[in-house]
Amino acid sequence: MTLIADRPGPGTARPYRFPQVVRRSVAGGGVVAAHLPGQNLAVAMLLLDAGAGREPVGREGLGGVLAKALEEGTTQRDATAYALAIEALGTELVTGLDWDTFQASVQVPVGRLGAAVELLAEAVRTPRLDPDDVRRVRDDEVTALRMDWANPGPRADAALRADLFGAGNRWGRPMYGDPDSVAGLDVEDVTVFHSEWFIRPGTLVVAGDLDRLDLDALAATAFTGTGGGPVDRGTPIEVPVRSERRIILVDRPGSVQSTLRLGHPGPHRAHPDHVPIALAGTVLGGAFTSRLNHLIREVRGYTYGIRGDFASSRRFGRFAVSSSVQTAVTAPALVEAVGEIARTQAGGVTEDELAVARSWRAGQLSVELQSPRAIAGALSTLVVHDLPDDYHARLREELLGAQVDQVSAAAATHLRPESLTLVVEGDAAVIRDELLATGLGELTDHPSGT
Amino acid sequence: MPDSGYPWPISTTRLDNGLRVVVSEDRTAPAVAVNLWYDVGSRHEPAGQTGFAHLFEHLMFEGSTHVAKTEHMRLVQGAGGSLNATTNPDRTNYFETVPAEHLELALWLEADRMGGLVPALTQETLDNQRDVVKNERRQRYENVPYGDAWLRLLPLLYPPGHPYHHATIGSMADLNAADLATFQAFHQTYYAPNNAVLSVVGDTTVDEVVALAEKYFGGIPPRPEIPAAPDGRVVPPTGVPAEETVVTEVPAPRVYVAHRTHPFGSPGYDVVTVLATVLGSGRGSRLYQRLADGERIAQPDLVGAYGVDLAHAPAPLIATATARPGVSGERLAAGLAEVVDELATVPVTAAELDRAKALLTTAWWRQMSTVDGRADALSRYATQFDDPATVAERLPAWLAVTAEQIAEVAAEVLGADDRATLTYLPQDKQ
Repeated sequence: MTLIADRPGPGTARPYRFPQVVRRSVAGGGVVAAHLPGQNLAVAMLLLDAGAGREPVGREGLGGVLAKALEEGTTQRDATAYALAIEALGTELVTGLDWDTFQASVQVPVGRLGAAVELLAEAVRTPRLDPDDVRRVRDDEVTALRMDWANPGPRADAALRADLFGAGNRWGRPMYGDPDSVAGLDVEDVTVFHSEWFIRPGTLVVAGDLDRLDLDALAATAFTGTGGGPVDRGTPIEVPVRSERRIILVDRPGSVQSTLRLGHPGPHRAHPDHVPIALAGTVLGGAFTSRLNHLIREVRGYTYGIRGDFASSRRFGRFAVSSSVQTAVTAPALVEAVGEIARTQAGGVTEDELAVARSWRAGQLSVELQSPRAIAGALSTLVVHDLPDDYHARLREELLGAQVDQVSAAAATHLRPESLTLVVEGDAAVIRDELLATGLGELTDHPSGT
Repeated sequence: MPDSGYPWPISTTRLDNGLRVVVSEDRTAPAVAVNLWYDVGSRHEPAGQTGFAHLFEHLMFEGSTHVAKTEHMRLVQGAGGSLNATTNPDRTNYFETVPAEHLELALWLEADRMGGLVPALTQETLDNQRDVVKNERRQRYENVPYGDAWLRLLPLLYPPGHPYHHATIGSMADLNAADLATFQAFHQTYYAPNNAVLSVVGDTTVDEVVALAEKYFGGIPPRPEIPAAPDGRVVPPTGVPAEETVVTEVPAPRVYVAHRTHPFGSPGYDVVTVLATVLGSGRGSRLYQRLADGERIAQPDLVGAYGVDLAHAPAPLIATATARPGVSGERLAAGLAEVVDELATVPVTAAELDRAKALLTTAWWRQMSTVDGRADALSRYATQFDDPATVAERLPAWLAVTAEQIAEVAAEVLGADDRATLTYLPQDKQ
């Protein structure tokens, strides 16, 4: 056996480059495109300023119902004809929703993108929204949410969100709503939301071989018949942080694992500490070799995996840790996870840990941004957060330049181990006493049902 | 119709120890994908050792002769890379995509665990990863509604002793019984250069990769005799439908209809791939149009059909639907069976065929749009068909499938006499 003992060092780094970005203003809307020469596939994504944050309180899930209703026929053709037309191009209409935006996209061989954008625009701008169809879609969505909420996770997520942000606020309720909120929607909610938010031009993101695409024609198609000026995006929301840590127990009788969701409010996306915060999160819970995954999975074997990160939208953010652990070790897993968060807040990160975190995050900008779909996602970040064309190159430099004191300071400032809400969804009869005995905080039983 | 589904260069070299090295240069982005297929999967596991191939995959990340425990992940992520591994009935694959200047590191790591895992393998590591895998089993199969469907379908489709009879995750009892010596022997038996394919795709050259492969893998000796898995190519039809009904904590009735078809890579399976798309991909599919939209007995987000791309025995085709509120499991099962039956009797139209081929074309180029997607495909075709260049034939083969072939294959393999049906029914809550 001859194995080479010495670990090789890196070769000469090739220069990093994000694809060339092209911006246009056409017919009242914006186009942001990336040139991918030679790429056979192309993606077009329409971004509308119609995220979950636009839904009225009590009407959570409205955007999701509207997204499904878009495919129930247009002013030009019925649902079946629409499905056959768009799928004959090789794509489905993919819709997505986050706090800041609604997205509708198509992915096709590059020569078919024009036809696909026509169908995308037809559904988004001129859906039929027949009342019977809208009611049926709503009922189906209620059923789909009930199915989803039968899994471990959604109830714990909702309990954490409500505790962090307040169930009286839209951002304190589930992003996609819950079965009850969707059941309460009526046809008018959907048609009004459409006319208020889906007729504005928005931004068309295109990722593909621009030598084989006509951006002006795509934009004209996407923005035909639109109107309405820019809308106020709102300012960052001040979210109060709890003075004491607490446990919320969500009962799931017979569960062989406990679902953990730990969190506290965090900075919004435009916070100046964004990069050091992201790196602190990476060291604590982002990379496979993170402190949390190393201890809870690789040393203890309590779980298949545990992750933690800071996530942020335009107006608010949060730090959260999530995992599923074997029922019998729920209490020790919780204690040790909180311990790692506290240790990171108090002691910061080491140079060795930061070296992995910064190289990983920087390298991911080459490794994970290959497909047209991934590039379109990166472009949408530019649009949603008003970032420049060279954002990814600058981000890479910022990541690689981050120093231990900066990242440790971000951990010290933005981690709040004493203010954590610890949501545990599991077999309450088995784990309740042990959770109380941890002394981690006062325990509240979450009401049953949703 | 495109002449090729793989318009990039492919070069294959076989080292003296039998390792096949496949290289496909593409300078578009400064990234490179490294992908290894070992020709060992859960089909090789004897009774009493189910789940061992997959548990072994976990051990491959826990250190080797020159790589300390946990260092593998740290070095790849610390180089900016993405990495993972998967195990299925057919094979085990390991892969990382790294910025191009770290290619040599990736090859060094892969060589060290191919040639030097056993000296680093400890009881402590085995015990830890056994616990991790048992938690994986709980999280993915036991603690979610319908999570065990695949575990139940396999024994309905394949008889005891067949290499696909048991699921890759294995049984808790077998995992508990796993001992260190068995894993040491597992590595010595199967993790040999002559039982593996190394594919490298991206910002590099054939000369560079072959020289590095020779340097790092060249000293690893081949194993003269690698035992074959049991032969599963012929599964005699029973002539009796297999049915199982599970009454448990699920939110709605759900039905799976499954058939053994043809092995992945065969002309028959190309037909099955197109057939499955006609049947169950998208809102224009027969299942959606008939059950979700037409009769409205199925939940629209949860109808579908797909083939499972296994190459060493007739591969499964699975169709599934979940009942809308008020619809019984029986009615749903009858509706699902009827749509499957009609594939043999109601000709597929030109529009249905074009739709399916368009969706498959996009799916194909989506996999080919990344260097890691291409590397995995090359490893597959080199491992299973002994020639990575045959990857180029798949998409044209799909596009050549006719409506007549679909009706013929449906009549041949989707008969009601040879069908496995798995039904979940909600438990009455007292």
